[in-house]
Amino acid sequence: MESILRKTAKELLEGKKVDVVVGYTQGSVPLTMSPVFITNPDDAERLVFNALCSQNLAKYVHDVISQNRAAQKRLKPEERKKKVVGVVARGCTTRSLVLNLQEKQYTRDEIFIIGVPCAGYVDQKKLSAAVGGTEILDGSLTGGKVTVKTPAGEKSLVLAELLADNCLVCAYNNPIISDITIGEPAKPMNSANEFKKVEDFAALPLEERWSYFAKEMEKCIRCCACRNICPSCYCPECFAEQSMPQWVGVGADATDTQVFQLMRLFHMAGRCVDCGSCVSVCPMGVDLRMFLKKLDKDALDLFDARTGINEKDLPAFSVFKEREKNEEFLFEP
Amino acid sequence: MENNAEWEPKIVAIVCNWCTYAGADLAGISRIQYPPNARIIRVPCTGRINPFFVVKALQEGADGVLVSGCHPGECHYISGNLSARRKFAMLKSFLNYIGIESDRALFTWVSASEGERFAKVIKGATEKVRALGPAQKLVKKI
Ligand code: SF4
Ligand code: SF4
Ligand code: FES
Repeated sequence: MESILRKTAKELLEGKKVDVVVGYTQGSVPLTMSPVFITNPDDAERLVFNALCSQNLAKYVHDVISQNRAAQKRLKPEERKKKVVGVVARGCTTRSLVLNLQEKQYTRDEIFIIGVPCAGYVDQKKLSAAVGGTEILDGSLTGGKVTVKTPAGEKSLVLAELLADNCLVCAYNNPIISDITIGEPAKPMNSANEFKKVEDFAALPLEERWSYFAKEMEKCIRCCACRNICPSCYCPECFAEQSMPQWVGVGADATDTQVFQLMRLFHMAGRCVDCGSCVSVCPMGVDLRMFLKKLDKDALDLFDARTGINEKDLPAFSVFKEREKNEEFLFEP
Repeated sequence: MENNAEWEPKIVAIVCNWCTYAGADLAGISRIQYPPNARIIRVPCTGRINPFFVVKALQEGADGVLVSGCHPGECHYISGNLSARRKFAMLKSFLNYIGIESDRALFTWVSASEGERFAKVIKGATEKVRALGPAQKLVKKI
């Protein structure tokens, strides 16, 4: 599959169909892949796609396009040139692209989607736990096995046991939209129990829910990595940094962190694609997904809306109706 | 404030200019009695109310937040309250999910002719928040 991916990218670049291909390449740390921007057709050799590719690349598509726009702000409109960004996209990435298109961040002709099937990616935190937190010196991925070399020796792990939580229950692991698809469609994941964790959590007593929220947010150091990596978070100026009004205090006050998180999470209402990027970059292991998934579930339950699964739909908060099916939440004295 | 004997609920009522605020006016003109616990903030339309307003009010010490605007179909800007209804349905559910009592955030409609209803809403909201006691969660201690 990788050879076709490289060949496709090379042809696209040579044929000037795209200006850049955003994809994955070997990372500098063993058993990691990092995003890469390929502009030279000969560099297409560096592209890879496997179960170690974790980030949602839609983020970088938005970055490239908006930076290109910003750089041409002072040119006359007729002199501005659009950049076409090719992107290696699996299911969740295409959902983010669809969301960006729905929110009119760019037009369909500015992106070229190289769709790839996905069977889940490795959660680095699970991988690290599986080797007892020791340093990983080297490793490789073959078939359903991950071979890891640590100072204590070699260990063979089962790939299926290392997959990220969001991948295990993913209902959209094949591209929603694409210009070219590579490889055979991936087998569906087990999405029947998608909301099980959320339902269990909602059934806990109120005070327990609050202590869980408070405990998780206590860990957060407000590094904003979760926001920076999120393809749905693209505001040029985030509320977290606004000073007029100042929504979030800059001190170490626990409630400021709670409010920051609460607001960032709520911004994802009907906009999160459950790609798990924020969870994977969080250095403190905050359980963001427990809360994000609730917003996903509510958007579905209340408004039959699912982020980015259909180009023609709009996000939950971009639509309204005279009558909604849920009006019981309203207060009647 | 923490002393329960003297504690009175503090409610921030964010209301739209065209219906609920006028409803409050009518309640006043008609000399209808209602509890003095609500601090009214007038905004052009419920569509103007950022869900952050609610969260921020709770953080800065409100015991409850009430949001009220025109009935569906009567919004001065046609659809402001319809999109607001979606936001607040999810906000209320989310606040409850993370463990904040759902009666701390209340949403309703009061039209300009419903002075009577406005008084009832304030009374009802005050009672609900009083039953919960002073807000403890998310509150910034300064
Ligand atoms: S909030 Fe996290 S899981 Fe959701 S779209 Fe953003 S990065 Fe992906
Ligand atoms: S990445 Fe983790 S620690 Fe950083 S702001 Fe997000 S939740 Fe907090
Ligand atoms: S003007 Fe009253 S809700 Fe829009």
